[in-house]
Amino acid sequence: MSGARFGFLPVFLLAAALPPIARGQEPRLVGRVPDAARTQVDAILVAARARGLPIEPLVDRALEGATKGAPPAALVAAVTRLRDELVVVRDAFGATASTAELTAGTSALRAGATARDLVRLRSLRSRRPLTVAAAVMADLVAAGVPADTAVGAVLALAPDADDADYIAFRRNVHRDIVLGASPAVALAVRIRLATETADPSSPNSSGSGGSRKRKP
Amino acid sequence: MTDREDPLDAIIDILKEPAGLTPDLTVLVMAEIERLPPPGAAATSVPWWRRSWTIRLRPVHGLGLVGGLAVLVLAFGLAGRRWGRSASPGEPRADAGQLTQFVLVAPEASAVTVVGDFNDWSMSATPLERAERDGLWYVTVPLVPGRYRYAFVVNGTVWRSDPEAPAGEDEFGRSNSVVTVGGT
Repeated sequence: MSGARFGFLPVFLLAAALPPIARGQEPRLVGRVPDAARTQVDAILVAARARGLPIEPLVDRALEGATKGAPPAALVAAVTRLRDELVVVRDAFGATASTAELTAGTSALRAGATARDLVRLRSLRSRRPLTVAAAVMADLVAAGVPADTAVGAVLALAPDADDADYIAFRRNVHRDIVLGASPAVALAVRIRLATETADPSSPNSSGSGGSRKRKP
Repeated sequence: MTDREDPLDAIIDILKEPAGLTPDLTVLVMAEIERLPPPGAAATSVPWWRRSWTIRLRPVHGLGLVGGLAVLVLAFGLAGRRWGRSASPGEPRADAGQLTQFVLVAPEASAVTVVGDFNDWSMSATPLERAERDGLWYVTVPLVPGRYRYAFVVNGTVWRSDPEAPAGEDEFGRSNSVVTVGGT
């Protein structure tokens, strides 16, 4: 009789003792994201995990909204939008893409790159990391370069450039802009320099028989 | 037959007589007994994983069991979080990354922190240190390759982007900056 009466007690205590993650909740959101948004964000995270999407970028977006004091509806909308973008980028980059690559891909997408551009980037850089290339697309657009021009530049460098080349390229374009060049002109100049460096027949090339690697 | 006149009494007398046992009854009974398995044979002939078990649990024992399970789940949860990312919430998550310095010139500030994708956007995780002069604030954070959005918060309330870094996307009305860390 007493066992039947208190039979629910262990179950209740177990449920209460479980950490949030065991109850399907993201523990980092507890106490930071308003309850009105947290339930919906948790549901998005569960669904994203089930689809094989990384949840770190989604959690980051929710925490960013919480720290910035965003209304719950805006916070949920931002997380939902990012989830949708991650799906597009994952389809473009492939199921083996890293979280960093997917995150950078969403930035490129938001800057104006298309899913087809990302597929092209993936094919041009087979087996090479995509994070910095995709990030530079977004950075160039943020610096004022037209989206199609920025995408074209990144794709032109894609076969040979490594991460350091991309970062140097972006830094040089940014410097030219700060010194007064228009974003489009700065990009065009830097791309031409990179192409000439890669062309051994060019008088500006580093020498015959040298590497064809493009150096921004 | 008795000398009683009443046939009913005669029937009663007959029924009161003990029933006679067949001579081979004992043999039959012993044969049936021999066909039975010996004591304990039924339990050992069935594998233990196919036997039915009866568990009697008192509430006090249930509490102990629940406590043990809760400790295990908690321990695994904490371990999973530790292995999966930063050791504690808000701590920069890159444990073996490239050292990246964040710098802000803010002579008027009494405190500056940096919040971003690398520290759960925590206002307390990554405070900047003040240099000796020029109102310079700085902090160095290890970051693995990736693209990180961030912002500075001055005196706990004023949001400022990094004037030396590209602008990053923002959906909440406060501008971000971006740092990209390469791996190759």
